[in-house]
Amino acid sequence: MSLTKDKAAIDQWYVLGATQDFPIGQTVATWLLGGDVTVTRQADGFEVTGEGRRLPIRTHYNHLWTSFGTPARDVFALPEAEEPDRRWLYCGGVRVAASGLRLIENFLDLAHFPYVHTDILGSEEKPEVAKYDVEQRRDVDEIWATKCEFLQPKAAAASEGGQISQYMYRVVSPFNVMLYKTPPTAPNRWDVIALFVQPVDETHAIAHPFMLVIDPSSTDAEIIAFQQMIFLQDKIVLENQRPVQLPLQPGRETPTRADLSSVLYRRWLKEKALTFGTEPRTDQVSDFA
Amino acid sequence: MNEDWTPIALSRDVPAGVTRAVRLDDRELVVWRGDGAAHVWEDRCPHRGMRLSLGFVRNNALNCLYHGWEYGAAASCVRIPAHPDLTVPPSIKANAFPAVEAGGLVWVGRHDAGTRPEPPEAVTPILSLGVDIDSLDAPRLDLDLPGGTLHLYWHRVTAGRIMLHAVSQGDVDPIHAAARVRHLRDELEQQVAA
Repeated sequence: MSLTKDKAAIDQWYVLGATQDFPIGQTVATWLLGGDVTVTRQADGFEVTGEGRRLPIRTHYNHLWTSFGTPARDVFALPEAEEPDRRWLYCGGVRVAASGLRLIENFLDLAHFPYVHTDILGSEEKPEVAKYDVEQRRDVDEIWATKCEFLQPKAAAASEGGQISQYMYRVVSPFNVMLYKTPPTAPNRWDVIALFVQPVDETHAIAHPFMLVIDPSSTDAEIIAFQQMIFLQDKIVLENQRPVQLPLQPGRETPTRADLSSVLYRRWLKEKALTFGTEPRTDQVSDFA
Repeated sequence: MNEDWTPIALSRDVPAGVTRAVRLDDRELVVWRGDGAAHVWEDRCPHRGMRLSLGFVRNNALNCLYHGWEYGAAASCVRIPAHPDLTVPPSIKANAFPAVEAGGLVWVGRHDAGTRPEPPEAVTPILSLGVDIDSLDAPRLDLDLPGGTLHLYWHRVTAGRIMLHAVSQGDVDPIHAAARVRHLRDELEQQVAA
């Protein structure tokens, strides 16, 4: 395995885990974009090395971020992290044998709720995906899907029964995404559920789900267990999609109206000329030919 | 034998309502059965690439696990649950291969496959068994057993591995026949190791 040459992928911030995942005084070996990375945590901070040099570090949102390149922007803003009554929950890293881009796309998907998260996030009796809005916000270079609605038998750990959940999705970089969802206990606010993806190589990723939620009653263990159950159901799908890498070539897959966010996400990746984690295309002459 | 057709499973092992994943020369196939004969398709939903072998059979149709897209026996998608009012365009189809059942086996054919296979009929299925060898010399081995004959078919899974499909003819003790197949597997793998 060696570090990718894909500049669009290199010039981004990537999560390596929640800071609490790294014990003080220890060195941890991990991977990013096909390259080896070493994280050492001392009492006074982190050191991350890769490709024989020290890499830049950020610790936004109690996560450790690094980059092999020179990102055009800092780690994305997450205003909800400033709100004092939110609970911060770290679900731990889950290794998935799939392209990290497949993880992001699955996270954006509503239509699988009745089949993959049956009787939890959706029910087979109500599989319809109502029209929602998608847009590429060019000022902040983010993808948003808004006005998403889905009838959910058990929307969250604190749910007493079914509800129509409102969702918004926000893709802040090719491998980082979050959703905003109406909590059962505070219908006027939004829970934030983020999926930070550490792309290990083209066909493996480590997902780091992170939550900023309003739920005064459930225990941490209950909320994390709920999220882990959902993610393990997704993992079964993610490891059985073919190809394992995300295809960007037209005609390889078949989007419908419910897949508008996926269509926009893929178009955005193409605009960025990102190829890491995508299926090699056969319909284009390579730039290096 | 003709090389247009390859045996990939025992018919008995694909009962009604069941899907099976089969690997043939590194291609991923799904074999499934609704009300009638077995179907052999590429193991991939055209929507998002999900393996259809993880799906479920209902109403003589194969449903994808990921989004419930429903494919009828002719491989056309007949229902997209996210859009209940949509008439699905006929262009949305699973990739189906020619398939026949004969001699207790499910056979997959090339798209231009000619005359269907005509193996010995009136057989009893014994078992399918993986063997870590690259190939056998003949498309079929016949072994004499007390009371009848053991027919051994095979397909290549990937380099260095085949799957044997054993059926018997005559009055053969199936437990004895299965033991004979396992013994043969051990012999074949030892020859490779030697």
